[in-house]
Amino acid sequence: MRKQERRALICLLLAFVLFAGTGVFTYRYFKDGAKWAGFYGNTQIFTDGSINRGTVTDRHDELLLHCSPDGLEYSDDWTTRVSTIHAVGDLNGNISSGAINMFASQLIGYDIVNGTYDTSANGKTIQLTIDAEANRTAYNALNGRTGAVGVYNWQTGEIVCMVSTPSFDPYEGVSEDNEESIYFNNFLSGAMTPGSTFKLVTAASVIDNLADRDEFSFECDGVNQYGDSDTEFRCVYEHGEVDFREALAVSCNGAFGKLSRELGGKALKKTTDQVGLSKSLEFDGIETAAGSFKFPTDDDVRLSWAGIGQAQDLVNPCAMMVYMGAIANGGEAIEPTLIKSTSFIDEIRGAKTIGRYLDESTAAELKDMMKNNVVENYGEENFPGMDIYAKSGSAETGGDDSDAWFVGFTNDEEAPYAFVVWIKEGGAGASDAAPVAGQVIQSLQNSNYYE
Amino acid sequence: MVLAAYILLIAIVSLLTTRATPEIWGYYLVEDGGSFPITHWENVIGRSKSADLNIPLVTVSNNQAILSRYDDDHWLLKDLESENGTFVNGQQLDSDKRYLIEPGDEIVMGGVYSTVTPPSVEESMNNEVMRRMDKEPVAPWKILLAITIFQAMTVVQLVLGMGEKITAGAVASFIVLAVVMWAYVTFFKSMGRKGFEMEMIAFFMSTINLAVTTSFDPSSTFKELVALLLGVALMIFMCVYLRDLERTKKVRPILIGLSVMALLINLIFGRAEFGATNWISIGSLQMQPSEIVKLAFVAIGAGTLEELYDKRNTVMYALFSLYCLACLALMNDFGTALIFFGTYLVVSFLRSGDFSRMILTAVAAGAMGLMVLKFKSHVAERFASWGHVWDPEIMDAGGYQQTRTMSMGAGGGLLGLGAGNGSLKGVVASNTDLVFGFVMEEWGLIIAVLLVMCIITLSLFAVMSIVAGRSTFYTICACGAATIFLIQTMLNVFGSIDLFPLTGVTFPFVSTGGTSMLSSWAMLAYFKASDMRRDASLAVRRGEG
Repeated sequence: MRKQERRALICLLLAFVLFAGTGVFTYRYFKDGAKWAGFYGNTQIFTDGSINRGTVTDRHDELLLHCSPDGLEYSDDWTTRVSTIHAVGDLNGNISSGAINMFASQLIGYDIVNGTYDTSANGKTIQLTIDAEANRTAYNALNGRTGAVGVYNWQTGEIVCMVSTPSFDPYEGVSEDNEESIYFNNFLSGAMTPGSTFKLVTAASVIDNLADRDEFSFECDGVNQYGDSDTEFRCVYEHGEVDFREALAVSCNGAFGKLSRELGGKALKKTTDQVGLSKSLEFDGIETAAGSFKFPTDDDVRLSWAGIGQAQDLVNPCAMMVYMGAIANGGEAIEPTLIKSTSFIDEIRGAKTIGRYLDESTAAELKDMMKNNVVENYGEENFPGMDIYAKSGSAETGGDDSDAWFVGFTNDEEAPYAFVVWIKEGGAGASDAAPVAGQVIQSLQNSNYYE
Repeated sequence: MVLAAYILLIAIVSLLTTRATPEIWGYYLVEDGGSFPITHWENVIGRSKSADLNIPLVTVSNNQAILSRYDDDHWLLKDLESENGTFVNGQQLDSDKRYLIEPGDEIVMGGVYSTVTPPSVEESMNNEVMRRMDKEPVAPWKILLAITIFQAMTVVQLVLGMGEKITAGAVASFIVLAVVMWAYVTFFKSMGRKGFEMEMIAFFMSTINLAVTTSFDPSSTFKELVALLLGVALMIFMCVYLRDLERTKKVRPILIGLSVMALLINLIFGRAEFGATNWISIGSLQMQPSEIVKLAFVAIGAGTLEELYDKRNTVMYALFSLYCLACLALMNDFGTALIFFGTYLVVSFLRSGDFSRMILTAVAAGAMGLMVLKFKSHVAERFASWGHVWDPEIMDAGGYQQTRTMSMGAGGGLLGLGAGNGSLKGVVASNTDLVFGFVMEEWGLIIAVLLVMCIITLSLFAVMSIVAGRSTFYTICACGAATIFLIQTMLNVFGSIDLFPLTGVTFPFVSTGGTSMLSSWAMLAYFKASDMRRDASLAVRRGEG
């Protein structure tokens, strides 16, 4: 009997496996339950595959979407629908990062204890951080061109404007030929050639690594041949002799090519990684596209191109915006968010930091140089009432025209915005992208100054 | 919710904290070696450390002989083909036969004199006192009342949740269940029985079962109740029958015959449902013979200690197992085949003496090969989606049932949406294979997990109770039944939530299904038979336990 008694313990082993498995499941339930409940196969809250409860508004409670068993009801205004669709999401879940998909569990009023139990069956209201008016302004300013505009408060992390074009009206049918691009959110999921905006990364690396940068000087002849005669780092015009500060203000390719060579591939790569451009960002369950870069240590020419944001450099607009915010914030990067915090606790805890992108002194010097860019080059009069710091870019991508970039931030206690504007084949950054940024910031200042 | 937790907690704690003090049936006196109390009905005498009565002398074989109880004064002795033989009063024992031993008979093993004496009156009294000091099983009334309130609340919830869809038959079923429950306890309590925790757990789980059945299809609730009542009746019958070990042993060949027939009939007349041909219809009655064969499988696998040392018995069991597995393989019933196979492994492990191990291992290997061959493509298909049910191309295909289970189950939160309010019922087999998700959605995760804990508690109890076990027959029965419950629950729960490929087996007591309900209740008899707490179990004669 004793032998059998001892062997009966094997039943305990089985019981333990059952217990452990149940434990694993319970753990998963607490971790992923919200995601499961928000799955479109859940017929408690999905009618014919579309969510049947919940409301989405902008930061000023303007209605963007209301879900009911009768279907989805978007804003009455066409421009609002088209300019916010990437933030709000569509019926069929084609826009994966849209609120309707990302925040389904909040929308349906899910919580761990009660599940989707809801006596009113109206669901919850999600207040997005975006400002519908700013989105409309951005959409109109893009004026039919393909592009992306992103603005966030670099102190709180709230994304106040997010527009991606081409876009579409969820109430209208979509023709199949442009299906891919209209669902694509350039701001979150795009990765494009940064052009001269990348000089802000190279400049940061110079400040960190080249102690004698004040002695730097470069004679720009407009063509700037280097090495064999085939390689030219052309500039828009002949800059003449420029120092480091001047080189950024006029965006001299020759000078930055030289600076890149002095830095070397390793230093450039280190700075690029440090300022978060080579990683994807994760916030609110959204994962942005990661940028990609190649800084060869054995090829001076390609290294020079990489240092001025050409060659194989690809940057994600959202990551670029966060970098701008970090410069504004003394080197500390704040995590973006699309949902207005509803809980008192979140309010107190404040913005989530991603970490230190730059030393405080580096950020300060860079900030000063970005102001100089505006004063010397873009013209402060073009940004009335805004304390703006910026860098433009015109990225050569082999298209008919260069991609226009304008990135930077405002340093205003009431309206601390970091922004990124990208317009595909939009022309020159300073003349074509900068006005879009100006209009959007203006609109934001108007509607949010006294909130 | 709170009520459910209360019910289960009391039952679980009571089951796991009350222990039976081993009873002393006699003393085994060894020359120069002192006396050993005999605490089991069946004892191995030998040199082996695992022998119940250990004589550490080289002249004694590892497993020399088996001493088993015949009646209060007499014991049976059987030689296990020992090297130096066993002698009683100078006569060598033939290892094919059992010999009746009178108190004081002189037993010689390997040159050592020994004898068996009955316990003295005084010792019997002491033992009695000790046993009276055991913690008594908890009185059933509080739990009974709690379950009844729980049942009443369930009905209210169902009426609120389902409105006009609920039928009078469904409501009546709950009332009948409550009445039967009270009648059962009152009747056996008046007969002097005390332990009812297992039945309480089963009644609680059955209540959830009726709620699930009603929510899914109120018109089938009554049928489910009838199966439940038949199950209770069968359990009582089995309990009474199991009291007599000799009688039970005799009925086994008949069970084998019936099982073989049942599976054969199933094979010939079986009807396919969801891939497995495990249903037969008799008139309008539909049943799954494999569920009933499961019951017999446990009893056939069990054996008295003596039988475990008998090659014929082992071969018989191995062949029967192989036959069952072959039939299930032909029926394409992978889930049930897994249950049988797992149970076979556990029972074999319990049984395996020194020489039976070979046979059992060989059959296990053969069965494994058979399963692999038969289910290869089927399993490959299920395994393909396993762990990937949330992949976009799988969530609506191979992972459809699992993703719905988890999704709507999570929608229930910890507390549930309320009985009758679920949406998972729109998914095929939600009340059987996916019942864990069904309970999660309507009753909440806490109750769903508690149901799993119920099964775990029953099995823990089975393991704990064997310390005071009388015969290996009951021990193996209890462990076999526990294994079946555990594996079934594992396959059911883990399958529906993607911790294991979905195999489509039932959750004991909880899944809708007449045959499943019936066999779950009947299976309880094996647990009751191993419950050695004083007067606790109706599967043990009063005063004896």
